[in-house]
Amino acid sequence: MTTNTENAEMIPGLRTLLRRLWGERRARWCLVTVGIFFLAAAYGEGVYRYSQWRDETPGYQRTNLTERYLPPSPFRDPFGQARRSGAQTVWQVTVGGLHTLAHHPMGTDNLGRDVFQRLVQGARIAFLVGVVTALIAIPIGALLGCLAGYFGGRTDDVIVWIYSTVASMPGLLFILAIALVVGKGLLGVYLGIGLTTWVSLCRLMRAEVLKHRDRPYVVAAHALGLGPMRILFRHIFPNVFHLVIITFSLRFPAAVGTEVFLSFLGIGVQGEPSWGVMISNARLRLWQGMWWEMTFVTLAIFAVVLAFNLLGDALRDALDPRLRVRDN
Amino acid sequence: MNGDLARYIGRRLVQMIPTLLGVILVTFILFNVVGGSPATQVLGKSAGVRDLDDYDRQRGFDRPLFWGQWARTRLFNPNQWGKGAAGLWRGEGLEWASGEGGTRLKVSRLAVVPLAFDPAADTVYRWEILGRLSSGATAELVGLEGEREIGRRPFSSGSGLVRLDFTVPEKDRTLRFEVRVEGGTLEMEMPVLRRALRHPWDSQLYYYLAQLARLDFGESVSTHQKVSRLLLDGLGPSLALAIPIFLISLMVSVALALVCAYTRDRWLDRVIVVTAVALMSVNYLVWIVMGQYGPAYRWGWFPIWGFESWRNLVLPVWIGVLSGLGTHVRFYRTVMLDEIHRDYVRTAFAKGLSEGQVLFGHVLKNAAVPIITNAVMAIPFLYTGNLLLESFFGIPGLGGISVNAINSSDFDVIRAVVLIGAVLYVSANLVADLCYAWVDPRVRLG
Repeated sequence: MTTNTENAEMIPGLRTLLRRLWGERRARWCLVTVGIFFLAAAYGEGVYRYSQWRDETPGYQRTNLTERYLPPSPFRDPFGQARRSGAQTVWQVTVGGLHTLAHHPMGTDNLGRDVFQRLVQGARIAFLVGVVTALIAIPIGALLGCLAGYFGGRTDDVIVWIYSTVASMPGLLFILAIALVVGKGLLGVYLGIGLTTWVSLCRLMRAEVLKHRDRPYVVAAHALGLGPMRILFRHIFPNVFHLVIITFSLRFPAAVGTEVFLSFLGIGVQGEPSWGVMISNARLRLWQGMWWEMTFVTLAIFAVVLAFNLLGDALRDALDPRLRVRDN
Repeated sequence: MNGDLARYIGRRLVQMIPTLLGVILVTFILFNVVGGSPATQVLGKSAGVRDLDDYDRQRGFDRPLFWGQWARTRLFNPNQWGKGAAGLWRGEGLEWASGEGGTRLKVSRLAVVPLAFDPAADTVYRWEILGRLSSGATAELVGLEGEREIGRRPFSSGSGLVRLDFTVPEKDRTLRFEVRVEGGTLEMEMPVLRRALRHPWDSQLYYYLAQLARLDFGESVSTHQKVSRLLLDGLGPSLALAIPIFLISLMVSVALALVCAYTRDRWLDRVIVVTAVALMSVNYLVWIVMGQYGPAYRWGWFPIWGFESWRNLVLPVWIGVLSGLGTHVRFYRTVMLDEIHRDYVRTAFAKGLSEGQVLFGHVLKNAAVPIITNAVMAIPFLYTGNLLLESFFGIPGLGGISVNAINSSDFDVIRAVVLIGAVLYVSANLVADLCYAWVDPRVRLG
């Protein structure tokens, strides 16, 4: 299955790509979900920074022991509550009910902290982890893969040795070990996930650059006397860049899942409500009938991971038809 | 053919060596270079200096990383230096001064250097003290055992380094080191005390390699068992959980993939694919928590905790199968569909074979190569793959041991598990390649 250079499909530009994704119903839903997730993360970051700047306890950490175990507002009969508290007219009942609906919409946890605000903070941390680990893993994988594929020989041997060594380490345990050695906290999570997940991109890049190395456009650039680095990064790299985008969209949900796991084990983020911390907290309260925290965290993780998984497939179909997985 | 096979295996075994060395190097870098001594993490903040020193010494953490002549010792350590430690220092005319380049001690008559504990017998130690003498003053470092003098070195005028080597002849002898100054003051920087090594290669790396050569993985800190013993004990329960998960999920996902291939592009196929993607997106933790809450706690179908009978394994096996099912089904479906579009399938249909005959007789056989590779490469993960399942359901396997080790910073255990996992992975790679050759005669052992 050799790809013919003349018939090689054009890789669409960013705008075309977005338009094509938006045109598909499923991909559009994914984009919307990812957008909401991004906004929630940005809002969470804003709240976090603001409370840091004001040097006060942020809303998601504020405990209120009189409002512990408050179910989500739709389960509290907000309108009845408004009526009981003295509202007479339909208008008063409606306004009072809506007011109660907005009060702890997803309920409170065992310390009276607002589940919704904590969920938003969890989105912030999940987003940070997804992006920062990608920023660590993708440059390593892309650079090593390009170098190995283009130069071959000794360089290739060394890089293949490095990545096969890293690939042989048992994934999750290796991440745990790194996080443990670096120390508890987000830095350990970033490094643990970032330093172990570049291998797949490196392999893909290496194979792809290897194919491009003898294409006429590279030979022509070579004949023009351009240096190897210029050829590699100005000419070949844009042609294999789609692999970076695909890898990112597939790595992101995996990184979110791993962060949840690490935080759950207590190695990840300390003192901040990440989704893993929330699951670990909600798990113990589930037996006492506090189902809402668990449910909302589960749904949030599910929605984000599903959106990224589907988006990854759609991107792959749009960018690299040879890797197509759906609708063969 | 047989000679070819032997030669091929031989060559692949040789090719494994660099990877294995790489794995050893990575674990060394991770735990020794980056991690350093976990003594305080393991023994706790309140542990005595002597215990910390013993811990380091037993595990070789006080030695240089690659080579060198001297090892660190906590006999004299930074806690014994500075204004905060002034109470430890006896003498006359002592004055602490902090300036650029750290804290200094001004001695005008006599200072007795405190030792954290008694030094070990039959070991060479060396003091290194950097000091500056005021003009006209003389000073010396004197070592005393009781009243007997065991060594004496003068400070040179101006600034200079004093080295004093000493050994303790027998156990439980109390040593004392004095800095005596006359006719002025000596301004000294923090003394450094080192322990001599037997030979310059007696390093952490050497210690680690020697340990590996003996197949000695160290000792667990929390249970004080040999790590190798611990891991052997954990292997059985781990496999009791992992093998059913492996076999059931292999069979179920291949069967579902065949169903997909059979009903491709019809509603059943669509439903399976959508369900698979949805299953992939459910977090692993959620499976466990929900499984324990619903079927085990609420409805009481399964025991929640323990490892007594096969009934304990039913729920974790179910969860293990379900959580991996989405990924597997999608993978095998892609493999099957790749085959279905080949020419030989069209030929088979053209000859009038039924859908079932083609699928089972032709497609499944040809899809066997990627299926077997995928399955063989999953084997190393059987060994540690179920970290959470084991620790949640109280199954005393390797996964549970690893999670406990992580919680108690038991570095020897984690290192051994990581190392063995990597070795298994490399071996599985070899086995997968051999399976290739066995299943597919077209693959030449080249």
